[in-house]
Amino acid sequence: MFKPVEMVKVNLLTLENYRDVLLTYLHEKGVVELREVSSGIDALEREVLDDVYRKASSYSISISRLADFLDRYRRRTKGGIKAVFFPREKSKKSYTYEGPQKLIEDVERFLAEAEPEIKELESRMGDLIAEIDRINVAIETLELLSNLDLDVHYMRSTRLLEITVGLVERQKFEPMVAELRQVTNDAVVATVRELEDRILTIVVVLKRDFDKVNPVLAKYSFEKIDIPEGRGTPAEVLEDYRRRLREKEEELKKAEEEAAELADRYYEDIVFYKELMENERDKGNALSMLRRTKFTLLLSGWVPKDELDEVIGGVKELTDGKVHVEVSEPSREEVEDVPIKLKNPKWLAPFEMITEMYGVPRYDEIDPTPIIAFTYSFFFGFMLTDFFYGLIVAIIAALLVMGHRKFQNGTYRFAYTLLWSSMFTMGMGILFGSYFGNAGDIVVRYLTGNPSFHFPRIADTLRDPIFVLELALAIGLAHLFTGYTIGFIVKLKNGDKKGAILDQLSWMLIILGVALLAVKMKTVGEGLFGVGIILFAVGEVVNNGGLAGLLIISDFFGFVGSWLSYARLMALALATSGIAMVVNILTQMVWGVSIGPIKLGILMGVIVFVGGQLFSTAINALGAFVHSLRLQYVEFFGTFYSGEGRQFKPFASRREVSEVRLNKEKLNGVAKSGSGSGSGSSVSVVVENGGA
Amino acid sequence: MGVAAISGILDTTVALVFTYIAYKTGAYIHKYTPYSYPNARIKAMEAKLFDEQRFNELAESGNLENFVASLEDTAYREYLTALGGDLTPWNIERALDEALADTYLLMAKIMPGRVRGFFKLLADRWDVKNIANVVKARTAGEDPERYIVEAGSLFGRVQAMAEAKTPEEMLVALEGTQYAEPYQRYLLGEISLAEFETELYRRYCGTLKDYVSSRKGDERVILEEFMRLRVERVNVLTILRAKRSGIPPEVIERFILPGGKLKLEPLINAEDLGMALAELDSTEYGKVIWEVRETVEKDLAVIEPVLSRYILRRMRDMERFYPLSVATAVAYTLEKEEEVRKLKAIAKLIHDGVEPDRIKELVSEAELVEEV
Amino acid sequence: MDPIVYVALGAALAAGIAGAASAFGVGIAGAAAAGAIAEDEKNFKNALILEGLPMTQSIYGLITLFLILLSAGIIGSGFKFSANTTQNIVKSAILFGAGLTVGLTGLSAIPQGIIASSGIGAVAKNPKTFTQSIIFAAMAETMAIFGLVGALIMIATGVGL
Repeated sequence: MFKPVEMVKVNLLTLENYRDVLLTYLHEKGVVELREVSSGIDALEREVLDDVYRKASSYSISISRLADFLDRYRRRTKGGIKAVFFPREKSKKSYTYEGPQKLIEDVERFLAEAEPEIKELESRMGDLIAEIDRINVAIETLELLSNLDLDVHYMRSTRLLEITVGLVERQKFEPMVAELRQVTNDAVVATVRELEDRILTIVVVLKRDFDKVNPVLAKYSFEKIDIPEGRGTPAEVLEDYRRRLREKEEELKKAEEEAAELADRYYEDIVFYKELMENERDKGNALSMLRRTKFTLLLSGWVPKDELDEVIGGVKELTDGKVHVEVSEPSREEVEDVPIKLKNPKWLAPFEMITEMYGVPRYDEIDPTPIIAFTYSFFFGFMLTDFFYGLIVAIIAALLVMGHRKFQNGTYRFAYTLLWSSMFTMGMGILFGSYFGNAGDIVVRYLTGNPSFHFPRIADTLRDPIFVLELALAIGLAHLFTGYTIGFIVKLKNGDKKGAILDQLSWMLIILGVALLAVKMKTVGEGLFGVGIILFAVGEVVNNGGLAGLLIISDFFGFVGSWLSYARLMALALATSGIAMVVNILTQMVWGVSIGPIKLGILMGVIVFVGGQLFSTAINALGAFVHSLRLQYVEFFGTFYSGEGRQFKPFASRREVSEVRLNKEKLNGVAKSGSGSGSGSSVSVVVENGGA
Repeated sequence: MGVAAISGILDTTVALVFTYIAYKTGAYIHKYTPYSYPNARIKAMEAKLFDEQRFNELAESGNLENFVASLEDTAYREYLTALGGDLTPWNIERALDEALADTYLLMAKIMPGRVRGFFKLLADRWDVKNIANVVKARTAGEDPERYIVEAGSLFGRVQAMAEAKTPEEMLVALEGTQYAEPYQRYLLGEISLAEFETELYRRYCGTLKDYVSSRKGDERVILEEFMRLRVERVNVLTILRAKRSGIPPEVIERFILPGGKLKLEPLINAEDLGMALAELDSTEYGKVIWEVRETVEKDLAVIEPVLSRYILRRMRDMERFYPLSVATAVAYTLEKEEEVRKLKAIAKLIHDGVEPDRIKELVSEAELVEEV
Repeated sequence: MDPIVYVALGAALAAGIAGAASAFGVGIAGAAAAGAIAEDEKNFKNALILEGLPMTQSIYGLITLFLILLSAGIIGSGFKFSANTTQNIVKSAILFGAGLTVGLTGLSAIPQGIIASSGIGAVAKNPKTFTQSIIFAAMAETMAIFGLVGALIMIATGVGL
């Protein structure tokens, strides 16, 4: 809690033959974040991407294309709402890893079988689709011509005559015909049929005149139409084309069936090999971080301290001890480079998501997750403030938590934070006596016949908003005070005494002063406030010199603005009870409606009530989420937090549909056979303790 | 104060406040709302632009069949499949050009009416290219059909020109457009082929400029800046190339496009390439070409990508300054052009049998040859 | 004008202007959402959440409408300021002012819609910017909240609930 996982920098020096083994081991382990090896030694070369990895990257592309194709036609099992809450785990296929070369061979063997079959079908379907497009174009043309009672045969050029069919704009028609007559010495025939704003024209000229006619047609933007194949009148040909269209569509449907069958057969394998190849490609991309000489290999990266022993042990075992390991603590200069992995107890860990969305702390900063977990949930609860709304959210969140626990994914983490928030919502709902707004009161009043009954509450949000406002501002003050205090502690610890006193302590004193003034402790309050203001002003002068005058004013009002911003706690709480009440009033209005003996109003009332309250829950929960987040990010983090750390992104494999067992003997066999004469046992583990 | 006085003051205040707010709100909504849809859509399209890795994968294709197959999951697909199996770099280039022209037309479709025409005009760039190519092919005695791209609003006429047998027939097909006159002058021998081409571009630029000047407010500012940068880029390149070849100033002047703000006389009249570059140093382009200042005297090609990147950077700046404006679309079209350019280069290099690693290297600094 | 006119206008403007502004805001963001979906359906969820943000102002308007009517007695015992005295006019004018405050600050829904619209674009390009976009959009709402706080103080201290 409060501190990210301790990291150490590890440098590994081993024999070049162990490269693939080592990379695979670290990739599967997934606890090292690689760094480019930095050294001033010229003899070190960059690792080059060799053929195996290049093939892996090209296969991963071609396989993913096959996967995309099959995925489009795959038969899906419809899970409905249950799949949303309780998605099934994907089954994992196992693969025994014996080195990249062997894997590539396996993939090639699989592709040799599956690829031609899939490609063939794909191109057949492509042809069918193209054919259907062609037919559709022809049909469109024929529809245009369909009111001509003329055999299409006559619309095609003959040996002597050039016949052109096309469309021309109405106002261009006359001049065009005139010019055509002119250039051909009247040896032109033009038949017409008027469409809406254009004129369908058939131009017939002698073949030898066509060269003169063509530019004229272009000049008047004459839009040529290609006459589709066939015999008979356009209407007859059209019928023929429609029949062909139906046939082709039928064929396409059959091909889609086939694709579905192929998907049944191959899809799982394809996804499986795709994952294997992508992991291999990932390893290939990491090569550029490594350095080598002719026989040795240098690798460097950050490892969480608690994983260190296991990793080193594993590496030693794999390389038969032919490895030199150097471990160092992060130095002062490296603070910004250290990757940050947040460390919190299991019941808090999902809230790390909220911190990560903003940005993880620097290595020397504090991890605010434990505080945020409470304040975020509490603010959410304050803004939703209704027992039943909280219950609805809680049920949904609890189902999601249960269904997604096994994945530990984003949905799980979000649902978990929502579950906490809903607890606070229910608590605040009871505190303010809100059960679907005032619906609880109304129902109990009706049942007991006591017209002035209301649930116990500290205040009615709508009747006494000023109290809620004061409460919100008090909470805001406390929240900001916490922030400045944390900042004070962090700065003291990092040796920045000046910053701690001038930037943080000043505000703490100001806040204390304001708080004391509010509870009528005038003298002490004024004193603290005064000291705070003086410290703050001094701080501005020290930090900004000449601009201090302006910045004192703007920063002070910035603080006031941040504080008043907590009024949103009240505003959203009010919004919740407001909408809930409107829904209740509407329900009461329709409740009494009846047509004759049928009490239609009850049905309508139930619909209005359920629909309205669900809508209200959704819209207010959205508001509560957004604004609670905002209060953390903008107001709270503004007091002390930078969020400039780099998140820990380990060099790790992705295993969703595959699991890999390393066949160490084979792998080592590969390495050994290449290593030639053993260079003796050079096991050495040097642990250095750097600065920091 | 009496009741009437209070009421009076209140009523007047309310009326004033309302008028002001209604006006402001209306202006605000009018300004931004039409860009909401296109902006989001273009941003989503930007997510689909190829990244470095994609280009590298394409460079690895080995042959043109694979290259085309690799583009199957993209929007280029329909243009490339239309080629059938006839894969030559030139055919691919034409298909890619069509895709690019359709990008402009898509912009024209989704952008608000008040700037729609601009993107239509951008697509009309191929009219100029096609006409020039047809005329050039005719002069060289080649089949013009091979050199035209199916794009631009005059495409029907261009096709007729390509089919025409005599120059007179070609002229008839052009009649009624602004390009007929230069062609006539070319036929009469008044201007050279190169001058004819410049004249076409000059007229095209004029149309664009007229359109841009007829816009208002932010749109005019952004589009004018865009036009200025494009024209100046072409002019700077023309002058530098001419200087390298030692072409006299009075000839250079004939190839200058109007519309830039840069003072070109000192450049044109500079003694040699070195002096011209020295002149350029004191303009806004001095900083732009700074990074390639050393190599540029030896190899002029390096300056083109630098200038193109500068235009893109300026447009991105404008996008930040005028969010939800036409700048988003303009910047996107620039990036799309860049993408198409790189794809063309890759196709050509693959065809020439260049090694994948070398292609990657070349494409990351792809030579960018493009007119306005 | 009669007190009832002020009270009714105040309530109407609070809910009306804020509501209309919310409608504009959601409309602007909605156009962006449609654009983002047109390219990629995966943008749906993010766009939907961002689109919903400018809705809050209409809720503030509605609450103010309710509080004004409550304060003037229209909900409950009956209209309190029916007599045309200076004091009643002042009180109803305060209610009018409260309504106007919320109505006009509710106009922040329009810029919020524009921010949300840009945000939808940004998220469509890079989904990682989702949180930032939400926070940016939430910024614009602060003014509406201040307006609501001001109106509450006006109603509670100037007229009483």
